[in-house]
Amino acid sequence: MATQSFKTYFGRNSRQGLWYVPLLITVVGAVILTVYTDDFASPQNLSNLLSQAMPLIIVAIGQMIVIVIGGMDLSVGAIISLTTALLALDAPAFVLVPAVFAITALIGLVNGYSIVKLNVHPIIATLSVQFIVVGFARILRPVAGGSVPDIVVSCVAGTVFGIPLTVFWAVIVLLLGWKLIHGSRYGLHLFAIGGGVSSGQEDAAHNFGISDQRNVILAYVCSALFAALAGFYIAGRISSGDPGVGETFALDSVTAVAIGGTQLSGGIGSLHGTLFGAILMVLLSNGMNLANLSAFLQGAIKGAILLLVVSLQSRKKMGL
Amino acid sequence: MGAIAANPVLQRAIRVPPAYLVFAVLLITLWVTKPQLMNVNVMGIFIRQVAPLGILVLGQLLVMRVRSIDLSGAGVLLVVNYMISSGIMGDVPAIAYIAMALSVGLAVGLVNGYLVGRRRVSAVIATLAVTVILTGIIQFLASGKPPGDMPGYFNDIYNTKIWIVPTPVAFWLLLTVLMSLFLSRFVFGRFIAAIGENPTASHFSGVPVERTVIASHILASVIASVAALVQSASVAVGSIRLGLEMPIDAVAATILGGVIFGRGDGGVWGPFFGVMCFALLFVVMTSFGVPDPGKQIARGLIILLAAIFYGLSSSEK
Repeated sequence: MATQSFKTYFGRNSRQGLWYVPLLITVVGAVILTVYTDDFASPQNLSNLLSQAMPLIIVAIGQMIVIVIGGMDLSVGAIISLTTALLALDAPAFVLVPAVFAITALIGLVNGYSIVKLNVHPIIATLSVQFIVVGFARILRPVAGGSVPDIVVSCVAGTVFGIPLTVFWAVIVLLLGWKLIHGSRYGLHLFAIGGGVSSGQEDAAHNFGISDQRNVILAYVCSALFAALAGFYIAGRISSGDPGVGETFALDSVTAVAIGGTQLSGGIGSLHGTLFGAILMVLLSNGMNLANLSAFLQGAIKGAILLLVVSLQSRKKMGL
Repeated sequence: MGAIAANPVLQRAIRVPPAYLVFAVLLITLWVTKPQLMNVNVMGIFIRQVAPLGILVLGQLLVMRVRSIDLSGAGVLLVVNYMISSGIMGDVPAIAYIAMALSVGLAVGLVNGYLVGRRRVSAVIATLAVTVILTGIIQFLASGKPPGDMPGYFNDIYNTKIWIVPTPVAFWLLLTVLMSLFLSRFVFGRFIAAIGENPTASHFSGVPVERTVIASHILASVIASVAALVQSASVAVGSIRLGLEMPIDAVAATILGGVIFGRGDGGVWGPFFGVMCFALLFVVMTSFGVPDPGKQIARGLIILLAAIFYGLSSSEK
């Protein structure tokens, strides 16, 4: 029994992927930063780091759900931008907040429906949806500005019992993600669908009685909703709307998920890996900022890391 | 749905790339609403604007027919543009610029081909990452500011005409004819069609799948560098903005032209008219006063609708 669970988490063929690699690198990086900088390990800095990492963690969880089924969602960045733009509209919060989540769920539905029912490649579908969504965000709010309802800001900033609200966000989001991915029948079905896709037998899950179409559509809705949650968090932090704020999140979330040991071909991955991947990404930009590296070069380095990570993953299919 | 799609006439009709229909609709719209624009000179200027895109599409259709995609055109464009306009190469003749552009294309193509063909990295991720890396490096070198001017003779050539056809358009037409001959008369074209139809079957029939995919990526990037030269000639001043629009438009035009991930119904002329659609579309939208975000929405809708069109027609097979 003990070896069984050891294999579940660490085995070469573990369904959870190589999640401990980013964990190790993160720990090593944190130790180095603690030694070489004065106040890296201070509660203040750690809480700053967590709030920097939070949006990426949230988006990456959603991104991971679609990557596990062998898909990809490039519209998450646009959804974040749209969410902040919508929240900065001049309307009461009890209208805005439900409207935001309804609209983003609809976007996820459009993604999922075009992929599953209309047979469009996931990358093409989400890429074109991304253009449409960013277009709408820029019509709503051509330049950054406006202000979001106070309730949104107070949901994100501030402390309860001296603990920053971000910590509560982290706990809730991770519990939600854990339940969805590793603690429910739905999550198991996701892995089954993805395992079939990555081994070239796309009907496998369907033949075992898993309603793959509905689950895939639902996965894209989940990914859109997690992106909206991240947008909500960002809107609370910057307390205004910005149509360009989400621009880098599509690729960054894919990078975080890939670093976290999730196979881009589907079927293998874990929530904790994604969490460590996202933290590693933020730690990296934190370190690069401390080293005074140009923002342009930081972009290039992130791209290079993405290339490195994905080229280390083995895949059978060639092309897209 | 199945019964309608099984109709042989409709089956034939659905294989005609949407580009021709869209082109006709746009042309009629323009004719009815803005008849004053319908003359050779004005049209020449509009079409000249999309010549770089048209050339880029010639490479895009190659990689899309072998079920891959190339978004690294934006990076190639930026590098070539920077190398020419920053004066980093000193005072050199035009041939040196052309050699530089082609070698940039070759190098990027080799990297893409290795990553996609040999390492089997997802082509979207690989080529997008290449663009991000190249953009970051160029923006760092230029320290965020646009570099200087292009040498004057680039723009001079760009502004010439051969009879009534602007030189860039003539050049684009020539390349399109060459590509069409290349794909129809050479074994390479057959390999590409075979891989698009079924990579596994092609592999077992002795088609060098890996080599063909790598070769088409190299060709696509070299063609992108030619497009970059034409683009550089058109702008006169260097720019360092990350412009993913060009490669995305190239993907959209190619899909519109009937070439999508393995299917090559549109040949080379389908995507050609896909690009012409883009030329007219932007004229129509500008003349109706559609703002920039509106154009972005239109761009997304075109890709999605064209992809849905092909998704539906291939799911009925």
